[in-house]
Amino acid sequence: MNTTSDTLECGHSLAELSAYLDTGQIADPVHLETCPECQAGLASLRHLSELGRELLSSDVADAGSGTDDWMQSILDNLRLELRPGRSIPLQSGNPNDTLWETEGSISALIRSVADALPGTAAGKCRLHGDVATPGAGITVDVEIAVVYGHPMEERAATLRQELAETLALHTELTIQAINITVTDVLEPPKPASPADPTTPADATTPADPMTKEQP
Amino acid sequence: MTGSPAAQHQLDLVPDALLAGRAADGDTAAFEALARRHGPLMRATARRLTGSLADADDVVQETLVQAWKQLESLRDPAAVKGWLLRIVGSRSIDHLRKRRNHADLGDVENTVDATSPPKNKDPETNAVNSSRIEALKAALAKLPEEQRRCWVLKEFNDQSYEEIALTLNISPASVRGRLARARITLARTMEEWR
Repeated sequence: MNTTSDTLECGHSLAELSAYLDTGQIADPVHLETCPECQAGLASLRHLSELGRELLSSDVADAGSGTDDWMQSILDNLRLELRPGRSIPLQSGNPNDTLWETEGSISALIRSVADALPGTAAGKCRLHGDVATPGAGITVDVEIAVVYGHPMEERAATLRQELAETLALHTELTIQAINITVTDVLEPPKPASPADPTTPADATTPADPMTKEQP
Repeated sequence: MTGSPAAQHQLDLVPDALLAGRAADGDTAAFEALARRHGPLMRATARRLTGSLADADDVVQETLVQAWKQLESLRDPAAVKGWLLRIVGSRSIDHLRKRRNHADLGDVENTVDATSPPKNKDPETNAVNSSRIEALKAALAKLPEEQRRCWVLKEFNDQSYEEIALTLNISPASVRGRLARARITLARTMEEWR
């Protein structure tokens, strides 16, 4: 690119080439293929993109790790408001008491059950139905991710069973169905992990093969 | 509402979409895992956009506050990274506008690039690389402000012309023009580093 203006000797402009880099579209693709001027201009712009990526990597490295103090102090300042969701009435022994539990606390309960199974992690979960009316039929939808090598159907069946028991114990909801969708299959952790993901893990080590050793 | 410590480590391994879905359900541990995962990129782009270390951390914090409030409106949870970066972009531009109103240029100590001497971890191979990067930083610093913003939003935040136009409140055609001018100037300056 030795021209001083942004119009090349072939009549095309570097601005067109810049837009081509982003959109893949240009008025005269045949010319672009064969024109040495345009090809040189493109090469120069691509070289700049490459440098831009190097600068980004260097800036990200300078920014530090997300596990460093700077991020912790930002997180400490956030004071995230809880999302309670709907209020779910509970029976009380005393007619003067009104007891509630929140939908958010039940989502958290569902996630903790799913996370505790070996090789699984919870995603979104939803309670469908009128949770505010005692006795109304409720359907639970849970998305989970399963680490590759763990039997999906078995995990889903176990989770359904455990969720039914846990929800019966901790809530008064009338659960009609528990739908479990496996939305992701996760790569097993790197060999440094203490557990071999191909062997079904011991259920007493809850976070097993997905646990990463933290420094 | 946070999970057990084991569950938190586990969250480091799951994909963005799953974390974003949990965070939208109110799982603060999942949200923090997302923040940690993308924090360095958010901080780096905010630094490049605002040119200020302190402003950049304010931007990251404001971005996370806004993200927590608006997560439920995110239609594609897998796109959470780009969504966070768009928020970083607009909050950074807000900071620049505020700073201009206060006519506060900031102290040099707190300015991006002023405090970071070239790194010498591996001098043999890194000398050329790092001086090339330093040359690009210097060239970027000389660009007109609007061109620099377009370039950073494109190359760092990976935004489309339309998204950049919304962030900067200018037309997509202006974005295209300013980005091209920025690239032409930078490419010319960087020719000698090929």
